[in-house]
Amino acid sequence: MESQLGKDTVRKEARDKVTGAAKYTNDLADAPMRHAKLLTSSHAHARIVAIDTSKASAMPGVRSVITAQDSHLLCGSMLRDRPPLADGKVRYYGEPVAMVVADEEQQAQAAAGKIQVTYEPLPVVNSIAEAIKANPVIVHEQLMSYTKMEQEVYPLPGTNICHRQKISTGNLPKGWADSETVIEGSFTLPQSDHGAMETRAARCIIMPDGRVMIKSSSQAPYSVKEEISAYFNIPAGKIIVQVPLVGGGFGGKTAAQLEVLAVIAARAVQGQWINLVNSREEDLVSSPSHLGLAATIKMGAAKDGKIMAAAMTFYIDSGAYAEISPKLAKAIAVECTGPYNIPNLQCDCCSVYTNHPYAISFRGFGHEALAFCLERMVDKLAFALNMDPFQVRLINAVRPGDLKPTQEKTTLSNTGDIRQCLEKLRTLINWDEGTPIKEANNLIRAKGIACLIKTSDTPTDAGAAVILTFNSDGSINLNCGAVEIGPAMKTTAAQILAERMKMSLEDIHVQLTVDTASSPYYWKTVASMTTYIIGRAVLNAADDALGQLLNLAAIALHCPPEDLDFKDKIVFVKHDPTLYIAFKDLVKGYQFANGNTIKGPLVGRGSFVMSRLRPLDEATGKGKAGSSWTVGAQAVEIEYDPQQHTYRPLKAVTVIDAGKVLNPKTAKGVVMGGMCMGLGLGMNEEFVYDPYGIVANTSFRTYKMLRYGETPNYLVEFVETPQIDAPYGARGIGEHGIIAIPVALANAIASAAQIDVNRLPITPEYIWREKTRA
Amino acid sequence: MIPFDFAYYRPETVDEAWGCYFNLVSANKKPLYYAGGTEIISMARVNSSVFDAVIDLKGIPACHQLTLQDGAFIIGSGQTLTRIAEFGAYPLLSQTVKRIADHTIQGQITIGGNLAGTVKYREAALPLMISNCRVKIMTRDGLLEMPFLQIFDGRLRLKEGEFLVSLTIDENDLQLPYNHVKKTKMAKIDYPLITLAAMKKGPEIKAAMTGYGDKPLLLPADMLNNDSLPPAERITNMIKLLRDDCKSDLSGSKEYKEFVLQGILEQLFKNFAEGS
Repeated sequence: MESQLGKDTVRKEARDKVTGAAKYTNDLADAPMRHAKLLTSSHAHARIVAIDTSKASAMPGVRSVITAQDSHLLCGSMLRDRPPLADGKVRYYGEPVAMVVADEEQQAQAAAGKIQVTYEPLPVVNSIAEAIKANPVIVHEQLMSYTKMEQEVYPLPGTNICHRQKISTGNLPKGWADSETVIEGSFTLPQSDHGAMETRAARCIIMPDGRVMIKSSSQAPYSVKEEISAYFNIPAGKIIVQVPLVGGGFGGKTAAQLEVLAVIAARAVQGQWINLVNSREEDLVSSPSHLGLAATIKMGAAKDGKIMAAAMTFYIDSGAYAEISPKLAKAIAVECTGPYNIPNLQCDCCSVYTNHPYAISFRGFGHEALAFCLERMVDKLAFALNMDPFQVRLINAVRPGDLKPTQEKTTLSNTGDIRQCLEKLRTLINWDEGTPIKEANNLIRAKGIACLIKTSDTPTDAGAAVILTFNSDGSINLNCGAVEIGPAMKTTAAQILAERMKMSLEDIHVQLTVDTASSPYYWKTVASMTTYIIGRAVLNAADDALGQLLNLAAIALHCPPEDLDFKDKIVFVKHDPTLYIAFKDLVKGYQFANGNTIKGPLVGRGSFVMSRLRPLDEATGKGKAGSSWTVGAQAVEIEYDPQQHTYRPLKAVTVIDAGKVLNPKTAKGVVMGGMCMGLGLGMNEEFVYDPYGIVANTSFRTYKMLRYGETPNYLVEFVETPQIDAPYGARGIGEHGIIAIPVALANAIASAAQIDVNRLPITPEYIWREKTRA
Repeated sequence: MIPFDFAYYRPETVDEAWGCYFNLVSANKKPLYYAGGTEIISMARVNSSVFDAVIDLKGIPACHQLTLQDGAFIIGSGQTLTRIAEFGAYPLLSQTVKRIADHTIQGQITIGGNLAGTVKYREAALPLMISNCRVKIMTRDGLLEMPFLQIFDGRLRLKEGEFLVSLTIDENDLQLPYNHVKKTKMAKIDYPLITLAAMKKGPEIKAAMTGYGDKPLLLPADMLNNDSLPPAERITNMIKLLRDDCKSDLSGSKEYKEFVLQGILEQLFKNFAEGS
């Protein structure tokens, strides 16, 4: 049978989605249902002096008004530092303070408006600089007393630093001595939002026997289950989390927040569903956001452009709570050299608390922020050396045998081929015509390039299982714990299964929803790892099912199983294909002519777990954070008006080493989506704070995302260097389109306007300021 | 979701609307006049606006005119931006309203709402401020007609219960040479950093802008048209004069707005010089 991989394949849920038949969490009909609404903080940092709920409680339809007084609890997937409802003080603008449960949604919201909170404002930590200065205002006084959920969290007592990750390789003094040119740069990146189309939503009911049923727009139903179990001391088996389709996650739906609140609300009205849905404003600031960053990098290179040494300091603005930011610090640290070989290296990466909305995973998992700093440095280095930025990248790009910052060895299989990506990019962006170019209309056309790299930063035990059951027509039901958040991962899993089973994709039926009571475990739908982890489990499940099918067919066909082959739902004798039996006559067991039946209904099962990962050494960072990397090269071409300092992107190009492209159109779509988000970060997106830490742009009127009409011409191409241990060689590509686009844009602006770009987003006002300052 | 109940009225005459408003007021209710609803709905859902009733003016024929007659272009206050733009009788107005919000919302926003709303930009006012435009207002004394600038000084100076019924623009002003510039912070669809509308009537340039300060404002005609000075000097003088009106906001800083205005005005003089 001809391979089905590498062909454009319509995703399994496409028809449901385009016709509106697809259901998301807040579309589900549950009864009886009550509604919860939040009252959120109007201050960024303030002591809660009093909360008067009496007026709210007296409002029509109100069942319960809940504050931290009703459940003192601390949450957090790495460090338990966050009360689900502010307890004693508020630490960011928009933080949930109280919750109303009422019969109708509008009753709950009306009553939330009647809760009276008396605040005593505290000095605000409104930037990373304020968080790390001497004698700072402390966001968490009890930092050292918090319970760790994971071992790799190292808070510093008496500071706002909740985690520090160090990397140290080679001999730095020697590196500086070998450097003829040394440059320095400082960078700042603002916090921003995921902007998923579906705002976060959670439902919960507590059944008479104590079972806790949750429905949620989560990327991580199994960790919701485990977190709820830990927070409320409920046995994990009594917690059931169901996730229908999710309308975009981008990392923002990876930690339990609304789910915890929904459980608290459900306990107040036992036996009734609670519906808790974010408004867009709440989704922007009350729920977690994209990290901010401040970084300083010093980099030295020999005359030939070879980077000899680098010293880097990164501070992540993790906002008011740690959540996943210690892992973000680790991710930045382990990838701090980018796809380049830097023999002598020191990197210090800290997560710091501020009075900003708290950060969570975001597409790119910190790599988009790291790439901005590092790839600006490479361009600055090229400028200082008077070399072509393309050449500098080519000279320094990692080769098989080079060591990563974690002292892991680079191979073609585990890393892919960055040089091929660069060479392909060079043609696609027409690099050799030069940049900047003066156009006839007084405008300037300019280009910027940058490279990307990313590994998974998964826990060492990240794994998944897959269950296959069969229908009487011989078709297969594929059940796995990956949440369908948009990039067609269920379809990818189905493709891998169809390929292994040598049958049509039409005969693979995927279960689109995830139910932790019946879908087998999957760590989380994050980190661009679903193709790898779920894919490997699918292959194991397919092999398990095939083994059973062949053994049973051997009995039916009276021959040894090794004489059998299969395709198109038929098992046949290799040397005489006229002897065959269909899957449909095997999947419920084999029935002899006399009615006797052997073996029961067929179940295929497979599981997979990441292998050979280990935590990083606290002092040197030596360890293994992922099993493989995906590399790529990106470019942005802009048209710039040197009088007005306005610009527009004309073209954006990505070349990624995908290992093997399983579904070309979907792969391009996923990468383009990432590029579009990257341009959004580059051009528009940021939370703006007033001097008191209040977010000034909490709606899409003022928080601007890129619109369809503003997008440039996208070009996406792939290189295919197989990752030998991945399903059919396919690497993860879900996040990668975003990573180097903001910095490619920055490099293009730097070239066009002849300025140093050291922050995002790049607005015409920012360029004007840099130009007038010069 | 709007978290409170309110009553909806749809009167068919201006008198009925007036009566409805004051009946509600005397019953201790807070009514709002309603047309497109884009601002009322978005403010009500975040509790920034609370009311007991809305009186929808879209059912009143006088608020629904869109016609060229008797030497004038008449626009009912309840006409949407899309319809006004597509009618096309006043190209400068068409172009201005086509850059307010996005295409979907333009089909909902009415010109009356854009002028009478609380969002400070009121971009639709700019072409009206610089043309021979009169308004009809429903008042205690019935319908009153007056020059637009008599009732609009950056916002409509309506008394309690009064509402805008229609706008009438002299047809001689509809097809004059014009300029429309909208500058934003970055995104094409956004509130203005500066939106400027200008037209040239005979030798005289008239211009109004918004985004620069707290409200739409007219550029000083005497300075704009002071032929004894070269354009560059006129621009410097105007920026100096308007220094106190210029305000920093989310779209941009005061200093940057001055820089952008300078560019806009340089281009404006150039365009009109080339045009004549």
